Amino acid sequence: MTISRRTLLGAGAGLGAGMLSACGSNTGRGSGGSGGVRLAQWYHQYGEPGTEQAVERYAAAYGKAHVTVQWRPGNYDQQTAAALLTDSGPDVFEVNGPSLDQIQGGQVEDLTALLDGVRDDFNPAVLAPKTYRGKVYGIPQTIDMQMLYYRRSMLRDAGVRAPRTLDELVAAARTLTSSKVKGLFLGNDGGAGVLGGTPLYAAGLSLVTDDGKAGFDDPAAARTLGKLHRLYADKSLLLGAPADWSDPSALLQGLTAMQWSGLWALPQVQKELGDDFGVLPFPADGPAGRPAVPVGAYGAAVSARSRHKEAAKEYVKWLWVERTDDQEDFALGYGFHIPARISLARRAGKLKSGAAADAVRFATEHGHAQPLLWTPAAQAAYQDALSRIIKDGASPEGELRGVVRKVSAELERVRHTS
Amino acid sequence: MRRGRTFWFWVFVGPFAAGLALFTYVPLLWSVGLSFFDAHNTVTPTRFVGLDNYTAMLRDGAFTGSLRTFLVFTAFIVPVTFALSLALALMVNRVRRARAFFRSVFFLPAACSYVVAALIWKMSLFNGVRFGLANTVLGWFGADPVAWLSTTDPPWYWLVIVTVRLWLQAGFYMILFLAGLQRIDPVLYEAAAVDGARPGWTVLRNITLPQLRGTSVAVALLLVINAFQAFDEFYNLLSNAQGYPPYARPPLVYLYYTALGQGQNLGLGSAGAVLLALIIAIVTVGQARWLRLGRSEADG
Amino acid sequence: MDDALVRAGRALRVVVLVVLALLFLIPFYLLVRNGLSSEQDITSPDWTFFPAEVRWGNVPELFDDPSVPFARSLLNSALIAVATTLGTLLLASLAGYGLARIPYRHADKVFYGILGTLLVPAAVTFVPSFVLVSSLGWISTLRGLIVPTLFSAFACFVFRQYFLGFPRELEDAAQVDGLGPWRTYWLVVVPNARPVFAAVGTIVFLGAWNSFLWPLVIGQDRNAWTVQVALSSFTTAQVVRLHELFVAAAASILPLLVVFLCFQRWIVAGVERSGID
Repeated sequence: MTISRRTLLGAGAGLGAGMLSACGSNTGRGSGGSGGVRLAQWYHQYGEPGTEQAVERYAAAYGKAHVTVQWRPGNYDQQTAAALLTDSGPDVFEVNGPSLDQIQGGQVEDLTALLDGVRDDFNPAVLAPKTYRGKVYGIPQTIDMQMLYYRRSMLRDAGVRAPRTLDELVAAARTLTSSKVKGLFLGNDGGAGVLGGTPLYAAGLSLVTDDGKAGFDDPAAARTLGKLHRLYADKSLLLGAPADWSDPSALLQGLTAMQWSGLWALPQVQKELGDDFGVLPFPADGPAGRPAVPVGAYGAAVSARSRHKEAAKEYVKWLWVERTDDQEDFALGYGFHIPARISLARRAGKLKSGAAADAVRFATEHGHAQPLLWTPAAQAAYQDALSRIIKDGASPEGELRGVVRKVSAELERVRHTS
Repeated sequence: MRRGRTFWFWVFVGPFAAGLALFTYVPLLWSVGLSFFDAHNTVTPTRFVGLDNYTAMLRDGAFTGSLRTFLVFTAFIVPVTFALSLALALMVNRVRRARAFFRSVFFLPAACSYVVAALIWKMSLFNGVRFGLANTVLGWFGADPVAWLSTTDPPWYWLVIVTVRLWLQAGFYMILFLAGLQRIDPVLYEAAAVDGARPGWTVLRNITLPQLRGTSVAVALLLVINAFQAFDEFYNLLSNAQGYPPYARPPLVYLYYTALGQGQNLGLGSAGAVLLALIIAIVTVGQARWLRLGRSEADG
Repeated sequence: MDDALVRAGRALRVVVLVVLALLFLIPFYLLVRNGLSSEQDITSPDWTFFPAEVRWGNVPELFDDPSVPFARSLLNSALIAVATTLGTLLLASLAGYGLARIPYRHADKVFYGILGTLLVPAAVTFVPSFVLVSSLGWISTLRGLIVPTLFSAFACFVFRQYFLGFPRELEDAAQVDGLGPWRTYWLVVVPNARPVFAAVGTIVFLGAWNSFLWPLVIGQDRNAWTVQVALSSFTTAQVVRLHELFVAAAASILPLLVVFLCFQRWIVAGVERSGID
């Protein structure tokens, strides 16, 4: 293996260099000769109209390098992960992470110095998962959060009050379900994907404890997850809608009375439903329970394979640290997000009233971000188990035992990798 | 003379062989190499782990479960596709009017991409809400809408997967059978008629099917390889932004999530891929041997 | 009595065929129906077989959408599909001919080496292939989208099987006329093997047009998107616009159907004579 790797990469690189100088390349990177430094910046495909034009505008305004924006549809995580293995990946990219393996594998640059003096201004909940052993590997761009939307009129007609506990949610979904309308939409897979650890947080637990152990090795976890199966068994869940949970269509088209969706859906819901809706966090369950909403942030990261690491960092600092007006525009101008900077969030007029203000309050009081130590392998095992609990009625205790084993092994693995 | 032949052989075969070596064998050997390393987020790993990835994969219930599911799926889909395409070919071959029309209609879906087909099935034909076509039809009979792809009991998702696969593939194999039927010597049928054999089952069993043996072997082999390599329609029908459900998960889809995506455990993924390739090779070669053996017995 | 049975059987066959044909056409019908409907008509709980108002405007709307370069992606797909088809036909037919007709001690080993790759799913070698192509500097280039896909073991196999059954007399006559293998191939073999070229060419063209995973990761730049990638960008967006999705899907298969209907006769003829069995 070593042989083929060394010889092939050697040969490939030589050939590649020849090709590049001979024919040029279309990747948007390279040394650019006379025009100064060229940087490639990647974004995943945002659904809100105008976002793409906005990020191009920010990039064009940067004077010290020529920045090419690439807008990527499809499975963005997979594309960036594959591209980071090569020299033709991006210099600067947004990432739903970086993941722990990317940090430990040295694929992303340490950006701690960029935050000198302003680190406290970034929302600590979303900065924490981008921090490993005190160093920051991604600059949070904007905060996304998810919550429960409900149609006030439908609840009123059914004589149901907005649910404050998981039991009330289960009962409300059942009451609201009729032959035409389902009570609740948690995504076409029944909730296993989008809910993730949220029900655990609502039960007063967590995915990973502060001392790095599986946070749900507790009878309360099984009890709470078992209640999600009730929703499915009662046939209260909308399943198989053409647009998934991230799109508010199901709620707007009257297919469901309540829907779990993102803050980004708020403007569209507001426009179409006016006052006929409200928002809630995921309701608490059990004596130690508390309401929960997931928060997260795409972070701007710099690839360790970039040929212009310093220039790339400088650009990230310019856009995501210094240009607060662009950050504000990005967070609030298209769709709806909460600025990652506390100072910006505080003065955002759009977030001061109505459902938006509720959302900000949920995020501040009940927000939990996915911990850095929660690896994709752990997530996959947990999600499989959750799906079996919800849809197949599998025993939550038995499923969770398997997940705890798997997650403990993963946590052990990442502790030993340096 | 022999040297001349060798020279010409490589003039003809060389360019193709060289390209195949570079773009298929190099990545293949590279993958095999990766399977012996701890390769998280890297294709040039340094930590050799021997067979650890293989034992981990064989102990992984999700992977072995998907292999089992796909053995069952193969055992079901291969005969069904085989029977449907053979039936289509026999009927189209015998129909007197509008033969070209029927042939085109059944063959046309073979031109459609899996992406487009999955889109029609998921978003329109079998979506889980009341404006899907299947649910509209159910509604005419007063039944409630069914969430076809999300219901695990009964596993309605198989209906969606099987129909999209039949729609996409039956036409192609029908063409293979039609070609086989064209090659059957009409004299055989005339002789049978003289012997008083009634058209229908007797002729089908005694003349048509034995004459189609070669085509049948080819179709069966292609179907088996195809079933084990299933990816596109499953991925496009059942995956979402958060991943893939734990049911009807082809081995390749499972490996895709393990090795690509943020999982990026390339060593483990490669080990699973090698195991899968071995299984496909064993099944295919075994099947070929078995079918060929049957033929030589029949011929002799 | 017998006659009546035969006639009944024949009628039954026609009925079954017609029903099956209608079932096979449903998906095409849905594409057109949804593609020409407004969003409200598609999602309306009251099913209509044809939209109340046929919206031809969906078509220009698709091509004017600034976020998806749909026309460009159609062009890319056409370029890639044509180049892939021509390249594959050239390389695979030469190799198939060499394997079938030029005696060489190790020809069998080479053949099984080629055939064996059919058993390996492409996804298995996906990551190393990607790294390889990227180290050649071919990301987001037409080269990167085309060249690695040119070496189709399936096409080579079909050509070999076909040439094994090719009448030797033609080549013998050419040899008598003093033609070497190279000119025999181009002047005698190729002109007489047109059906198999058409058959393999159509299959390769369809495969190239419809391939998805490879163009998705190699065609990183928006200008290098193929039509399948453009199509998937409609489905992965946070907000799904059904009418645009369906009209795009219809536009993506229309060129194919035309090619396909034109060449169908050739495919059948090619398959018949290629001895794919």
